[in-house]
Amino acid sequence: MLSRLLRVTLTEWKLFVTDPAAVLLLVVAGLLYAFYYPTPYINQTVSKVPVAVVDFDHSGKSRELIQMASAAQQIEVKAVYGEMTEAENAMAREEIFGFMVIPENMEKNIRRGEQVSLNIFTHGAYVMLHGAIGTAFSTCALTLGATQKVRQIALEKKVPSTKAMAMRDPFPISIQTMFNNTGSYSNYVVPCVLVLILQQSLIIGICILGGARGHRRFRKKFRDSEVENESMPYRYFGRSLAYFLHYCCFILFYHCVIYNLFNFPRRGELLPMAVFAVVFLFAVINFGMVVSQVFLRRESSMQLFLYLSIPILFLANFSWPSYLMPTAMQSLSYILPSTFAVPAWLTIEQMGGDIYDVAPKLYALAIQAVIYLILGLLLTRFRDKTHFKTGDM
Amino acid sequence: MLNGLLNTIRKIYFSHNIVLWMIVLVLPCGVSVFMLDLFSSQIVQHVPIGILSQDDSELADKIETGFQSSPVLDVALNCSDFSECEHAIIRGDIQSFVVIPNEFERRTLRLETPVIPVYSSGQNYLTNMFATKEIRAVVTDVGSELFTAQIEDPVKTEIHSVGNIESNYQGFLSLGLVAAMFHLAAMLVAVYVGSFPLRDHRVKELLKYAKGSRLTLWVASIVPLDIILWLGHMACYAYCHRALTPMGFEEFVMVSAAQLFMILACSGAGFVFVGVVGVMRIATGVAGVVGGPAFAFAGQTYPLMAMPLAVRCFAFLLPLTHALKIQSMMLLGDVGLAPSWDVLKLLIGMALFWNVFGAFLMSMRWKQHVRIENAMEKSTSFRAIVEED
Repeated sequence: MLSRLLRVTLTEWKLFVTDPAAVLLLVVAGLLYAFYYPTPYINQTVSKVPVAVVDFDHSGKSRELIQMASAAQQIEVKAVYGEMTEAENAMAREEIFGFMVIPENMEKNIRRGEQVSLNIFTHGAYVMLHGAIGTAFSTCALTLGATQKVRQIALEKKVPSTKAMAMRDPFPISIQTMFNNTGSYSNYVVPCVLVLILQQSLIIGICILGGARGHRRFRKKFRDSEVENESMPYRYFGRSLAYFLHYCCFILFYHCVIYNLFNFPRRGELLPMAVFAVVFLFAVINFGMVVSQVFLRRESSMQLFLYLSIPILFLANFSWPSYLMPTAMQSLSYILPSTFAVPAWLTIEQMGGDIYDVAPKLYALAIQAVIYLILGLLLTRFRDKTHFKTGDM
Repeated sequence: MLNGLLNTIRKIYFSHNIVLWMIVLVLPCGVSVFMLDLFSSQIVQHVPIGILSQDDSELADKIETGFQSSPVLDVALNCSDFSECEHAIIRGDIQSFVVIPNEFERRTLRLETPVIPVYSSGQNYLTNMFATKEIRAVVTDVGSELFTAQIEDPVKTEIHSVGNIESNYQGFLSLGLVAAMFHLAAMLVAVYVGSFPLRDHRVKELLKYAKGSRLTLWVASIVPLDIILWLGHMACYAYCHRALTPMGFEEFVMVSAAQLFMILACSGAGFVFVGVVGVMRIATGVAGVVGGPAFAFAGQTYPLMAMPLAVRCFAFLLPLTHALKIQSMMLLGDVGLAPSWDVLKLLIGMALFWNVFGAFLMSMRWKQHVRIENAMEKSTSFRAIVEED
């Protein structure tokens, strides 16, 4: 019994490295994408964003503010303009991505005790730069204001400057980042994408090899071989085992090589990692076995799933919180293994969570695995009995 | 000639080819609208946070009430100890938690400036950023009302996002994602249209409809897909743009032109992939490798200037990078019009190069496949004669 199963497994695994389309998806894609995706984010954070200042005041205070902005880590003051249009044109040419306007009589008004409003303009198309520029300029402006306010408090309340400082900010906050200390963009994006690469390449790979069906047309001279047409449970579980073992190697490769190479935190412990690998891969393999029975041609699955990769990534709750999505989309996301696998992987590998922390997500994946297993067996049986004239499957 | 062209178009696009219409119209438009609706709440709200209050005082309650009344935050957990909050972060139940320290009110009133530690996951970049910003704002507000309510801050700042006044996420990302979707679509559809005659051995049949002209077959293959994708892209773009500052006519023309040339360049590249590899499966894989992650390289989410030089060179070769550049320049209004011309010229150059190169390679492939199909016909008729004998 075991030898029959292993024969199917070995035959299928041989296909992974001999069929050109399978090599591309089941070997090359998993390796190539793992290096390809993290490369743009290799510098991890954005610093020294080019910005400008429009100075209408030309006073000591405005120069102090420009100096403070120049010293900020996130931005680099490329120019100081005298006119708004100069800054607007520079932003249109993408020489700068934001600018701060220092109004006329700023110093005079501050000394008179009047409130001064500083306008910061950022380029509306760049989400990351908007935050970085806004925070950097605001911090400088508020620091300038803080010095003045402390002076004002000290004079009005007749207290020493140390007390005035405490009165201005009676309980400062200190923000500690627990798991992505450097605020690295690659730590945020790449681990989620790696899970998605595993899922998508595995599903398309299964589809391109026809899932568990017998008499696969593209097998040509092996079409009627004994191992190709084993009884259905042997075919189903034998081929599933081949995918499972192959993708266990990928998870190990990502954990040991990619995470080390790109300096991602590796906090995953053996037990949760192993349980995750088993449950996740079975959910994806069975999902692939179900979907593979729909296509008549090998390449159709590639065309479909290449379009769906971006929405699937966003449905995985990694960038946009799932509670902000419309209910229909939330419901739709429950049919995808990645919806539970991405947060589970982040909890285990990035945050060092134990098995209890990820249990609800692993249960959901296990339920998916069982449902797709039943569906996969039924659909494969149905497909075996149906003879289509078109297609190469 | 026109008759031949129309017949070839009918044969390629209107002969019960469901997969083609799925990938040329249904999937790109459907996925674009889906992505837009995914961000329909526009800004991040109700980020779940936890509070670990070690001080039972009026001031601590005031801070908690501040968090509860904020639209950005949602106090999802009142922890009894540090480990409870920490595990809630690990499980993903909350994004951040605030510790209100022991004797907080007493120390505040004594001007001892007790520090409020805020622990943030850091793993979810966007939600963490919004949560910590709002926590800071709430705490600062309560603090400023305590001793110096009557003294205004001498300097206040207002941040304006030009072209995206409300700084909504829908506007930030959807336009880029829609362009990325059509960028990929143009490559995939071109690969499909270019390679299905090779796969199904129908090159001779299609050339017959094109009256033997490979140029007619080329035009019949590429022009309809470019027009359909361009119109689809414009419609989705207009649908997305509702959330942003309205565009002027000239800006609309410029963006439409950029979208057209991006699609032309990508479809030309798709034909080049087919011309080089000659097999639909492999060419689709190549298009997927180039077009799939293009959005990550195009500089809208993570800026190009922070990428390594080699990646920037690769990004420069992607038509999407330039199309997004024009789209973002047009967000700024009239001032973006002049500099966007240079970028458009580059896109036109790319479209020309890929189309000429694609036409040449496909012409060679068709020639080769006509020979193959002739040989196959001969061998089939020879086999039939042998079987008859």
